[in-house]
Amino acid sequence: MIDALAGLPGPERRGADRTPEDRGIARDGVRLLVSTGPHHVDRVFRELPDVLRPGDLLVVNESATLPASLPARGSAGYFQVNLSTRYADDLWLAETRWGPGQPGPVPLFPGERFEVAGLVARALAPYPGVPRLSFLRLEGDVTGAMERSGRPIRYGYLSREYPLEAYQTVFARVPGSAEMPSAGRPFTPALLERLRAARILLAPLVLHTGVSSLELEADRPRDPPIYPEPFEVPAATATLVNRTRGCGGRVIAVGTTVARALESAVDGDIVRPMRGFTRLYLRPERGVRVVDGLLTGFHDARTTHLELLASVGGVEHLAEAYSVAVERGYLWHEFGDSHLLLPN
Amino acid sequence: MTVRPGERRLALVTGASRGLGEEIASFLALEGFDLVVTARGEPSLQAAASRFRSHGGSVEAVAGDVTDPRHRAEVRALVERRGRLDLLINNASELGPSPLPRLEAAPLPALERVLAVNVIAPLALVQELLSCLSAAHGSVVNISSDAALAGYPSWGMYGSSKAALDLLGLTLAHELEDRGVSVVTVDPGDLRTSMHQAAFPGTDISDRPLPSVTLPFWAWLLHQDPKLVSGRRFRAQSDRWELPV
Repeated sequence: MIDALAGLPGPERRGADRTPEDRGIARDGVRLLVSTGPHHVDRVFRELPDVLRPGDLLVVNESATLPASLPARGSAGYFQVNLSTRYADDLWLAETRWGPGQPGPVPLFPGERFEVAGLVARALAPYPGVPRLSFLRLEGDVTGAMERSGRPIRYGYLSREYPLEAYQTVFARVPGSAEMPSAGRPFTPALLERLRAARILLAPLVLHTGVSSLELEADRPRDPPIYPEPFEVPAATATLVNRTRGCGGRVIAVGTTVARALESAVDGDIVRPMRGFTRLYLRPERGVRVVDGLLTGFHDARTTHLELLASVGGVEHLAEAYSVAVERGYLWHEFGDSHLLLPN
Repeated sequence: MTVRPGERRLALVTGASRGLGEEIASFLALEGFDLVVTARGEPSLQAAASRFRSHGGSVEAVAGDVTDPRHRAEVRALVERRGRLDLLINNASELGPSPLPRLEAAPLPALERVLAVNVIAPLALVQELLSCLSAAHGSVVNISSDAALAGYPSWGMYGSSKAALDLLGLTLAHELEDRGVSVVTVDPGDLRTSMHQAAFPGTDISDRPLPSVTLPFWAWLLHQDPKLVSGRRFRAQSDRWELPV
């Protein structure tokens, strides 16, 4: 944890407990804090075309959110299995919890058999060093089980449940994320039209994000686990990123998932088409090579996300932005407001 | 791997009584593989085998030295009885003298032993088990080391043997493609094992991770299309595991 970030306010008072639609505003009506150097300007998300420059490139995540939270029953009683990452149709990394606000973990012994949404599950092994996560073998049609019984993963800070649609972005195309790649949520088809008219470019990639439960980091505050996630940077996107940088445009990652995928695909100082699993941990000491700006939400003070943000925006700049955001009442979490970190 | 309903996959893990080999064998048993496991020490091998058996599945343990043709013949007989081998993990390795000598002072008989265990024996197993590997469209995984690439002082004996194993694996990947057999090289990274301790006698190695740190990698690798990973070299603890686009 970076000391300068450690004292930042937690999300408790500032977290959005409902979707923007539930608060009476459109997806693209959330607030947007634009932080450029020492300046922190209040905007509305739908003004993004006025904030960016022609030739800038927005890179977006096409991963769609799964209904990954499944009911389970075993020797420990009734609990939840939150599927995190698909290794194969029948092999998943998953978190076991008692409920959204009851983190558990639910104890499983290696080899234990239990029931998950009507399927037979077997606990294979805990994730090394992170007993909250386990590798599970699931026999049968996991996609079907999710469609029948799965719900979007949610944590205790939300005031109600939402259908899966609330967790899909306009870019969602490839199912695979345990949690919504939320930075893309405020985009709407109309806004995409206006970005295109403003000659701001768009390129897709995929990174399927796993579970992000706070307890994952609370369990190991000094050495937070970064577990591998599937990603793919297509050739056309790699080319666009490299050309944009060559022409003086800015590459803006929409979300921490995109920043991690792009930086994972860097070879020297160019992006190569690539796919596989990545567990790259972006921190200020490493810095970023191809990401110039980051469009994201407001993140919890504890999370590894903050180190990633600081590696794009700089530690002091980020700390200042977060003070400003608290002062001005910006909302944290996946249904909250947005933050654009730009280089000076 | 081609599996028909009701068929069980078979894996052979050498050096399976402790350390990385035990970790891999244990995970394979949990993943539903039947196992043939080998190691030199009979008591520790049998103890490990009974732990693997507790995960279900059949486990045959045969103690011996992979450089010994009679031992390999026993292993071969066990595998041939099944008629298939889905996975061969060439994990058993010889580090050489501890502390590690510099090459200028390397005892040549010890170097011959290192090469026999780390290069000749893995190839011998592939040769002897090839028909069963081919029948299952199986995979060979050779356990290598960053010492194969780096030229670390005093790691020359072990490092050169692993470099030879790397090239052997890459060549086999090309040669065995038409037999349906894939060959992958894996550098597991530094681990808290008795072999690593022998490389650093008297040094506290408790900052190195336990072999279980590689589990996510095995979970990943075992479910990739073998044709896509054959001939590739992976680092189990690296930030990314890359496939061809």
